[in-house]
Amino acid sequence: MLTMKNVTKVFRTEMVETHALRELTLEVKSGEFVAVTGPSGSGKTTFLNIAGLLDDFTGGEYRLDGVEVRQLGDRARSKLRNEKIGFVFQSFNLIPDLNLFDNVDVPLRYRGFTRGERRQRIERALERVGLASRIRHFPAELSGGQQQRVAIARAIAGDPKLLLADEPTGNLDSQMAREVMQLLEELNAGGTVVVIVTHDPEIAARAQRNVHIVDGVASHLDRGPALVSPALRTA
Amino acid sequence: MDFLPILSTLRRHRTAATLVVLEIALTCAIVSNAVFLIRERLARMDTPSGVVEEELVRVRLIGIGQTADAAALTAQDLVALRAIPGVKSVASTNQVPFGNSGWNSSVSSIPDDVSGSTTASLYMGTQDLLETWGVRLIAGRDFTPEEYVDADAKDAKVSSAIVTRALAERLFPGQSPLGRTLYLGSDPETIVGVIDELARPNDRNGPESAAYSMVLPLSISYTTGGTYLIRVEPGRGGEVLAAVDATLTKVAANRIFTHLESLTEVRDSYFRKDRSMAYLLIGVSLALLIITALGIVGLASFWVQQRTRQIGIRRALGASRGDILRYFLLENFILATMGIVVGMGLAYALNHWLMDAYAVPRLPATVLPIGAVALWLLGQLAVLAPALRAARISPAIATRSV
Amino acid sequence: MFPYYLDRAWRSLRRDVGLTLLMVVAIGVGVGASMTTLTVLHVLSADPIPEASHQLYAVQLDPRPALGMDPGEEPSDQLTRTDAEALVRAARGKRQAMMSGGSAAIEPQTAGLAPFRVDARWTSADFFPMFRVPFVAGGPWSAADDAANARVVVITRALAEKLFGQIDVVGRSIRVETGDLRIVGVLDSWSVNPHFYDLHQGTYGQSEQLFAPFSTSRELKFGVDGSLDCWENADDPHGLGAPCVWVQFWVELEDAAAADAYRDFLVGYSDDQRKAGRYQRPPNVRLRDVPDWLDVQKVVPSDARLQTWVALGFLFVCLINTVGLLLTKFLRHGAEIGVRRAVGASKRSIFAQLLVEAGLVGVAGGALGLGLAYLGLWAVRQQPTDYAELAHLDLPMLFATIALAVVSSLCAGLLPAWRGCQLTPAIQLKSH
Repeated sequence: MLTMKNVTKVFRTEMVETHALRELTLEVKSGEFVAVTGPSGSGKTTFLNIAGLLDDFTGGEYRLDGVEVRQLGDRARSKLRNEKIGFVFQSFNLIPDLNLFDNVDVPLRYRGFTRGERRQRIERALERVGLASRIRHFPAELSGGQQQRVAIARAIAGDPKLLLADEPTGNLDSQMAREVMQLLEELNAGGTVVVIVTHDPEIAARAQRNVHIVDGVASHLDRGPALVSPALRTA
Repeated sequence: MDFLPILSTLRRHRTAATLVVLEIALTCAIVSNAVFLIRERLARMDTPSGVVEEELVRVRLIGIGQTADAAALTAQDLVALRAIPGVKSVASTNQVPFGNSGWNSSVSSIPDDVSGSTTASLYMGTQDLLETWGVRLIAGRDFTPEEYVDADAKDAKVSSAIVTRALAERLFPGQSPLGRTLYLGSDPETIVGVIDELARPNDRNGPESAAYSMVLPLSISYTTGGTYLIRVEPGRGGEVLAAVDATLTKVAANRIFTHLESLTEVRDSYFRKDRSMAYLLIGVSLALLIITALGIVGLASFWVQQRTRQIGIRRALGASRGDILRYFLLENFILATMGIVVGMGLAYALNHWLMDAYAVPRLPATVLPIGAVALWLLGQLAVLAPALRAARISPAIATRSV
Repeated sequence: MFPYYLDRAWRSLRRDVGLTLLMVVAIGVGVGASMTTLTVLHVLSADPIPEASHQLYAVQLDPRPALGMDPGEEPSDQLTRTDAEALVRAARGKRQAMMSGGSAAIEPQTAGLAPFRVDARWTSADFFPMFRVPFVAGGPWSAADDAANARVVVITRALAEKLFGQIDVVGRSIRVETGDLRIVGVLDSWSVNPHFYDLHQGTYGQSEQLFAPFSTSRELKFGVDGSLDCWENADDPHGLGAPCVWVQFWVELEDAAAADAYRDFLVGYSDDQRKAGRYQRPPNVRLRDVPDWLDVQKVVPSDARLQTWVALGFLFVCLINTVGLLLTKFLRHGAEIGVRRAVGASKRSIFAQLLVEAGLVGVAGGALGLGLAYLGLWAVRQQPTDYAELAHLDLPMLFATIALAVVSSLCAGLLPAWRGCQLTPAIQLKSH
């Protein structure tokens, strides 16, 4: 599903050069639920940005669902991102000006679905996260947990193969966090690949496999069926 | 991209959106009326005089004290002027087109018509007047030398007249005017010729009668008419004008010469108020468009800045740069359209008020599409820079925690 | 607190230089354009003779034939010579004068000075005291001079200096057309704008330079300028008894009661004329003081009014623009407002601070607008119109310019400042 080989990311300013990722190699297979962990500043977010096609990388190779993304232009990348990936962010990132329906609608619009199909998908997705009754409400009228469920609905409405979650429970209390994790696990059980970036060991423990990034290198694995980390094999 | 989500966003930013719409609407209303007024003024400035202005110069002269035989002196003057190198033809006359002051009379197709509904400008002059003007006779003939009468003679009466096409059409609609009689009060004059065009010295009698002129074969002396009109070879006007004073002084002293100028200068000063009004309106319209464009840039920049995160999210969710660019262009298009719709209503209201207060004609419908297209273009151009900046926002902003 | 607000406002404005400049330029250009046109309008509609404008009345009678009469129509704005002379003789007002524009050739006795023409006024003795005309030497001629067709003349200071190189020329003679006239008075600088007493001679601009008794001008057949309207053929339209109107007539009356009495007199006069067979129409008279007269005669060019409306419309759009930009600016710094609110600033003080910021923009815009108005008026003076020379910014208009800029920017600031102070501290702090 997702293959990174020796991916590097260097931020350059006039004064300094920062290596955010150094030769990161990593593979996530179909059906997996992977947690990416690491201390803050280790390169987790950079990894997420690159994996989610939100940012360019400096060197190496990255294939998403068999497509080499390095050479793709903005349009193709945006299309790929739209079709294959669903995002769940720590701060929900709902658009405050739009109600729930229109928020879930955003990626579907870019997908080019017909009106009827969009409506069907939006309703199904909101139903899936248990918020169908609030469809005309605005984000500010919901609790944090509800907002995150809307974000998940938005992420899954287009049936992506890969769900990228960035500290999805970071802004939630433990009760809500459990609900959200349960939802992600259910989605994984339905065949969606889930990659979750977190620094919370409890969350990480629920994943099938953990990848630990320190100083831009994937360095550690602890559990799950794919016991050998590709990163270690090359190291 | 679809309409409805943009509308929903605009509804949430109602104040700012309303301000943009209002500004576009007012600009639209003012600029379409201004464009229309400018067109009016320019059209007025293009009014044909009917004479070969670029070949004509005039001099006004006033005698001091009483003159014994003005007619004889006038004849000597004309001979002397004709002898100036570069002069083609000379006439003594009472007024020139666009010369501002002139002689008018009410005219009618019936005698003693007291309604006074039609007034025409009375041109009179010595024999070479038509040739000097270079006017085009479209029907009939010029005056014969026998028809000319000395205007200063007691009870001077003429019996023939040449009229402009517009005046002929006014007095005898749909009929051939040749041979018909028109009346100046009770005095009958037979129409012997029709000229295409001869503007009045001024249009104080209203724009519709600005082309009602007639010529009478009254040989007028300088003491009565006060104007010599000189036709020169092209480009020699300045040279001839420079010689006029000395030439005429040699014929007789004790006369004061004023208004030595070409008829193009006469036209310029006649229309200068229209010209300065047109320039003012052009200036204000341009300034309005610039201010409105800058206002759109300012507000759009603010919106882009305010929605940076939102744009990042959209990008993360699959929007390409083009999608973001289109989003802002469409948003502006919607605002501009609302502004134009409101603005056109305002434009007509404003025009209505101007019609009442300043006798401005009705706004023609052609102004609508022109104004709409201009404002759409203006809006799209103004929003382009902020929209491009928005399109450059990285989708990675979405993962930045706050 | 105000200095603190001022300081904050100044810093805040400097933070967004582009936006600030845009607002200042918008207000400045709008105010500049408005004040240019308003100044022109102000000058054009000024009272030409403020000390007496409600005591001076223009007289209109209706001597035209019955044929073509339209009941209630406005009588001609000038009188026949016959009627004017009769009204002067009747002397029912405090003062009264008949007059006509004219022009006269002067043959200077000074060597090297060629003959030239000047604009002149043929009038009667009361003209000078009635219109408060200042003399620098000598004085007006007398009613006796009028009656005797006396060879007397009053000239302006400028003409005296041109002819004699000095202003003390009372008693000397000048040759006007064919007559030698004795100078009895020299006017100090005097010009009235608009030229209310005779609007046929151009409404604004310089007045005539030479004044002589009306009776003398007729005897010597001096040239007459102005509008002449005859309803029958006349061999000598300027002669006594001619069926032509061409003479202006003004009367000075102390108060409204005197005006009513004079109006009755005019009606009686018209009636008498009709009984005598001279008039054919029923009495149709008008008696209007200077402001009324200028209003009815539509003295202020409609273009000047139109231009003012255009400029005010422009200013309005500039203000809408400023409202939008101020809103942008205040909301952009919502976080700062939130922090201020959180540490205890009241809505009121936030509102005040934001208004001070708007006012500061107005002051800067006013300064720019003043500069642009000076520039605009300079441009107006370059135009060859008759009122060009009058277009100057006087002190009241100068203050009006600054006031217009500040008031309009404060108005523009009201909505944004209100919106700004409504921001709740909580929301602003949470999302940032």
